[in-house]
Amino acid sequence: MQPNDLIEQDNNDDGIDRAGFLKCMAWAGTGVLWMMSGGILKSFGMSQMIDKNTGNVKNGLIIPKSDFTFAQISDSHIGFNKPANPDVIGTLQTAISKINAIPKAPSFILHTGDISHLAQADEFDTVDQVMKSAKSKDVFYVPGEHDVLNDNGKQYLERYGQKTKGTGWYSFDYNGVHFIGLVNVVDTAEGGLGVLGNEQLQWLQDDLKNLTSSTPIVVFAHIPLWAVYPQWGWGTSDSEQALSYLKRFGSVSVLNGHIHQTIQKIEGNITFHTAMSTAFPQPAPGSAPSAGPMKVPAEKLSSVLGITSVDYVEHNHTLAVTDTTLANI
Amino acid sequence: MKLTRKLKVGVALAVLVITGVAATRGGEAEHYINLKVLPKNISSKDLSHIMIDEFEDGLGVGCNFCHAKENNSNKLDYASDAKPEKQIARSMMHMTLGINKKFFHLRRPALGDSSIVVTCGTCHHGQPRPDETALQ
Repeated sequence: MQPNDLIEQDNNDDGIDRAGFLKCMAWAGTGVLWMMSGGILKSFGMSQMIDKNTGNVKNGLIIPKSDFTFAQISDSHIGFNKPANPDVIGTLQTAISKINAIPKAPSFILHTGDISHLAQADEFDTVDQVMKSAKSKDVFYVPGEHDVLNDNGKQYLERYGQKTKGTGWYSFDYNGVHFIGLVNVVDTAEGGLGVLGNEQLQWLQDDLKNLTSSTPIVVFAHIPLWAVYPQWGWGTSDSEQALSYLKRFGSVSVLNGHIHQTIQKIEGNITFHTAMSTAFPQPAPGSAPSAGPMKVPAEKLSSVLGITSVDYVEHNHTLAVTDTTLANI
Repeated sequence: MKLTRKLKVGVALAVLVITGVAATRGGEAEHYINLKVLPKNISSKDLSHIMIDEFEDGLGVGCNFCHAKENNSNKLDYASDAKPEKQIARSMMHMTLGINKKFFHLRRPALGDSSIVVTCGTCHHGQPRPDETALQ
């Protein structure tokens, strides 16, 4: 099967084409706002909600009622300095500004990894400084592979993982929802796939065993827990076992980063969603020789980003960009 | 006599400062095992920059393209020379540095340095092996 065979159609009816969405992300930074309502998560791209001229919520948009909201940001790559985005601090700040512009601050923020680019102390310091400007004071992290370079995540754990287990996995409850942060970047499988490992899988099984099947579950980890594009290492080698533990639950949402673009897949009771980066875009799966920052001259960036206007079908499951405008609710 | 002593102290201090700057150009120097082409006192920042921004992005590969796993583990043994790709990478580093020195007259070309003209990506364009048809 060729990568292009995976492209089926663009089902996004939000009036925003993906090229424009990515362009907006590349230069303005973005995040995802998640609303939990009756155990169901709905997502909203920050760029769709916030007027880029005023910095406020767009005129006419009404924030629907929900049990609570939280924001997801990912792949801030502080320390990255290439043409794909020479100002990653600025775009992270913009993402935080957009979150701050939401009338009711999200209860907390999830950062799904690659906080830093080279796992350097000064990079983590910068992120911490920027995150202080967020109105939502609670930020929950999981590491990306860039955060554990050199020291197998020692520094990451010292900063963000003091109350976690193993290499940084943990869970917490909020408003009746069980959140689970997993680490799949410390070890590597063939082809660069993520690995959870037996110890973490055992912990996950134990963590879930006392929960009723009606408990809404949100799992977040850096590398996708589903096979987005294994040829580029965009998947986790032993995720199937983890997902088997989640099958009995009525509502499971899996949030990931790593691939710097929004792709969603629904499989039974589990909704998978990958978030865009606040730093730089990567090519759509299979549309380039390899994954990596889009390295093009700055003035051509927007036109090159236009090639990523795709949805995917893999194993007959439709993967669609489903960030929805508030007007469509 | 006094002047000579001052001069000696001054020279010694200058050497210390220059050595320190060289060793910590990109942060604190680390002690890595089995570095044969890259400086043995390279900082973690400089090493990570070369591995991520030069090799990974230049060739579109992950760490395990060159680095072998530890026995019975998913952890990488970064010091191991078990994978032939690692030796090829060393040869490629020599070649790249040589090209920059010989043809672009850089006196001390260093991988990851912004002054370097020919990089991994110059030929690889994000692929593990350069497009050979383009080189013919």
